[in-house]
Amino acid sequence: MEQLAERAWRPHRACEDYLSEFRHCRGFRNHFHHYYTYGTAPSCQQWKEDYHNCRKWESHKLTEAKDALQKSERRRLEEQKNFTPVWKLRQAPPGDWHRPLD
Amino acid sequence: MDQNKQDEEYGYDLFPERKARKPKHITIRDSLFTSRNKCQVMLTFAMEISPYAKLLLNAMKNSGCKVYKDRHFSCEDCDGTVSGGFDAATSQIVLCQNNIHQQAHMNRVVTHELIHAFDHCRAHVDWFNNFRHLACSEIRAANLSGDCSFTNEVSRFNFGLKEHHQQCVRDRAVRSILAVRKVSQEEAQKIVDEVFDSCFKDHAPFGRIPHGNKDAKFAYREYVNRDRYYANL
Repeated sequence: MEQLAERAWRPHRACEDYLSEFRHCRGFRNHFHHYYTYGTAPSCQQWKEDYHNCRKWESHKLTEAKDALQKSERRRLEEQKNFTPVWKLRQAPPGDWHRPLD
Repeated sequence: MDQNKQDEEYGYDLFPERKARKPKHITIRDSLFTSRNKCQVMLTFAMEISPYAKLLLNAMKNSGCKVYKDRHFSCEDCDGTVSGGFDAATSQIVLCQNNIHQQAHMNRVVTHELIHAFDHCRAHVDWFNNFRHLACSEIRAANLSGDCSFTNEVSRFNFGLKEHHQQCVRDRAVRSILAVRKVSQEEAQKIVDEVFDSCFKDHAPFGRIPHGNKDAKFAYREYVNRDRYYANL
């Protein structure tokens, strides 16, 4: 059963997506916008590593590659959630969203 | 009398057609040759072509708030220089047809207002009574819509480079609050400063701060593939 789950796993994104993100990240426009926003240079190394790990998984199904990818993406997701929300999230959309106008 | 005061307090006097509260009778002549038609055409383009708008529309649909152009958008004449607004009472995005003359501007206004609508859809935002909520949504909208891009700031003669984006987001959030609520500049600034750190980091549904169409396209690609992403996490 676990072997089946292992085989069913695939990288979070297509490998070309990692490569295009890396290339986009290290381009001039991105550097400029990152400096304009944060005052520092962006770090793009992670995208490159993720691309290589993605390739390794596709060619040889290496467990280390899979683990590294999962760790990287989980960290990326955590960074996105690294703030305390000001409001409470809804469990259902507002009831009057589709209410007809008078 | 009470209604007038309420209108003024919540910024409705910027949108006189909305304030009238009776439906405007539109003739065919009106609809064919006026700025309303231009507004409608530009809106359609924005919804179909702008990756910012497409991502937001997709995200809203998945949150249970599918956006219908005829129901949730309204092209109207507005006062002053305001470009648009989100009316939580009627769940409508108002586009100021007399102040939006270029497609790029329309794209940006649609994105900005859709961010408010998205916040309304996914969170309990108390637009009318909680200034922190209002400030938070304005910070997010200024941050993620391209309002504060380098080019836009330069066109406003605001020259700045290092971390200027953040300064612009603060300033525009304060301006937006002052436009629709009767508070002092200091109060508005204080509220924005209080919630800035949290709200500046909230990039939903983009997952990043999109600095141009390419960023927005990458964000859109990421969003469209999120099922695969979460399944393999």
